[in-house]
Amino acid sequence: MSQRIVIDPITRIEGHLRVEAEIKDGKVAQAYSSGTMVRLLEEILKGRDPRDAWAFVGRVCGVCTSVHSLASVRSVEDALDIVIPPNAELVRNIMFCTQYMHDHVVHFYHLHALDWVDIVSALSADPKKTSEIAQSISNYPKSSPGYFSDLIARLKKFVDSGQLGIFANGYWGHPAYKLPPEINLIGVAHYLEALEWQKEVVKIHTIFGGKNPHPNYLVGGMACSIGLDESSVINAERLAYVSDLLHQAKTFIEQVYIPDLLAIAPYYLDWASIGGGLGNYLSYGDLPTNGYRDPLSYKFPAGAILNKDISKVYEVDLRNDAEVQEFVTHSWYDYAEGNEKGLHPWKGESKINYTGPKPPYEYLDVEQKYSYLKTPRWKGHAMEVGPLSRMLVGYAKGIPEYKDIVDKTLAKLGAPITALFSTLGRTAARGLESVLVAQWALEFYDQLIANIRNGDSRMANTEKFNPDRWEKQAQGVGHSEAPRGALAHWIVIEDKKIKNYQLVVPTTWNASPRDFEGKMSAYESSLMDNTPVANPDQPVEILRTIHSFDPCLACSVHLYDEEGKHLSRVKVL
Amino acid sequence: MGLGNLVMGDEGLGVAFARAMEKEDLPEYVTVMDGGTGGFHLMGHLEAHPKVILVDATMDGGVPGTIRLIRPRFSSDFPKAISTHDIGLKDLIEGMLILGKMPDIYLFVVTIETIQPLYVGLTPEIEAVIPKVIQEVKQLITQLMSE
Repeated sequence: MSQRIVIDPITRIEGHLRVEAEIKDGKVAQAYSSGTMVRLLEEILKGRDPRDAWAFVGRVCGVCTSVHSLASVRSVEDALDIVIPPNAELVRNIMFCTQYMHDHVVHFYHLHALDWVDIVSALSADPKKTSEIAQSISNYPKSSPGYFSDLIARLKKFVDSGQLGIFANGYWGHPAYKLPPEINLIGVAHYLEALEWQKEVVKIHTIFGGKNPHPNYLVGGMACSIGLDESSVINAERLAYVSDLLHQAKTFIEQVYIPDLLAIAPYYLDWASIGGGLGNYLSYGDLPTNGYRDPLSYKFPAGAILNKDISKVYEVDLRNDAEVQEFVTHSWYDYAEGNEKGLHPWKGESKINYTGPKPPYEYLDVEQKYSYLKTPRWKGHAMEVGPLSRMLVGYAKGIPEYKDIVDKTLAKLGAPITALFSTLGRTAARGLESVLVAQWALEFYDQLIANIRNGDSRMANTEKFNPDRWEKQAQGVGHSEAPRGALAHWIVIEDKKIKNYQLVVPTTWNASPRDFEGKMSAYESSLMDNTPVANPDQPVEILRTIHSFDPCLACSVHLYDEEGKHLSRVKVL
Repeated sequence: MGLGNLVMGDEGLGVAFARAMEKEDLPEYVTVMDGGTGGFHLMGHLEAHPKVILVDATMDGGVPGTIRLIRPRFSSDFPKAISTHDIGLKDLIEGMLILGKMPDIYLFVVTIETIQPLYVGLTPEIEAVIPKVIQEVKQLITQLMSE
């Protein structure tokens, strides 16, 4: 715990999330979520060449890398009416799937698993029993008693050296940990396996995008040329390597990630009725199979669900200025026409006015403005975005592959459909969509190869790359489904330059402060939905719910006792 | 490999080092890399090299500009200021250690007085230390290759 970390935005990776929660009768009674760091890419982009925007916005985050660049090039293409070649769409889709598989696996094992898996308990596991369990849940070859006893020996050697390391990062021994030592050991083993695997799969980004993080994009297509027999472009050897990596990823997800998820979930079924929150779900859709302009062709369908009613999916129109709007009632911004009205992002403003307490401070004044995140609303509704929203929209639309995987999983766990509206549901949905994405990635790959075989090597449409061919004024919206949820960039172009640019990112939907009517957004609402806190000094339960959203921000949590007195200040790990 | 954040003033000295080091005449078996705030992304690069020399800033309360060479065995041997993010370099080091995949690491830490958030560039006194760090790194390279 370090006070400096709690108060100042000095971490090396972007974004700070602060949650202030009040605990009453062992439960979260009040929760406030605050983003305490400014990004403001919007202001940096004004006056720049729209063709360069992707390179700037890509740097918003090194974890969610590439999705912002994708949304950006789409916004420019939308504004300028540029249709990209099928191969470019396929390469973008393959990179998109790669990002998902990497991000979801790293989130599960390295950011979220330790909320459920007790590493210290793993030390007392019986290797033989662990091996039996591992072999009963998966065909993954690394599952012999020798493999697990070797791992225990390594872990013990590490602990015996007097180092706590990752062993110090959690609340080990907390009564909320329910797994037997053997399943804990499997979790630790795969934490390490995932560490090894994750560095491989991102090579796909380096092959198509030149580098990772922050691979290269291009307005009009992709900046990678393909020639099967040529030496200096993406050739048959490189493509075969991509195929290997995609197959490895699919194997890892199907044989490691999903079996672990299903082995852990039965011990935590109480979390299927905790942390649900809003019950409103939004997806913009993504993974076009017939071009970005044809939303009906998307693998991830677009739509909105209200009040947990999956019998109806509402259409979403990002161009309609009455649908997506951002409010600043509780955000450190000022709108020119007053802070009460919401603004559609094409007319969006990003003028900062920090009125919070001077750091270092103890509490935020949550009655006033308390976050650098704006508060987005869809037709006035607070919406949750992310894997659960995507899976629910696909399921509610009756798409067979969604129905199939969701129903099978629920049957396996003996849980009703309502179990999805929860912390556990969110974490499960992320795993299930990883399975779908791993399959789709191979479909896209096969289509790319087929196109190339048929002689189509087009990768970019450069007809309108020259700004002399642009309209004097144009506006567009580029949307995507980032791993963390619905993402869109709205651009206004005038005289070949960016006149206005607004990003509305997934974590803004989920982590934003209350709106003009006092309605909570997803984080606050889910924390106040039945989230227990057995020991305020070790709020592992709060971590479970917040981490189930895959927050893209380093977190700090402040806790209060029933009188609102400050109890402890805990850095979330 | 220089580590650090370019937009945090003196905290970015590792990156400034890497940029300056790239201009030096170096043996071909030496790779210079700006590790930035790469965290997990650095794993492949660390694994690919048997010996790794890191350069990073530290706020250890000493005289600004002091250069020290340490041989970190555990993540706790790294400067406190090193990646405080959820999945930073420290977690990577722990993981590689348990996997038995840690390269031989030599870590030069340079004392800085403070971090300047959202400031690009080094203070003159830290800027002046860079040539000295380069000199020490080059000496170490020569020494390691003669072993």
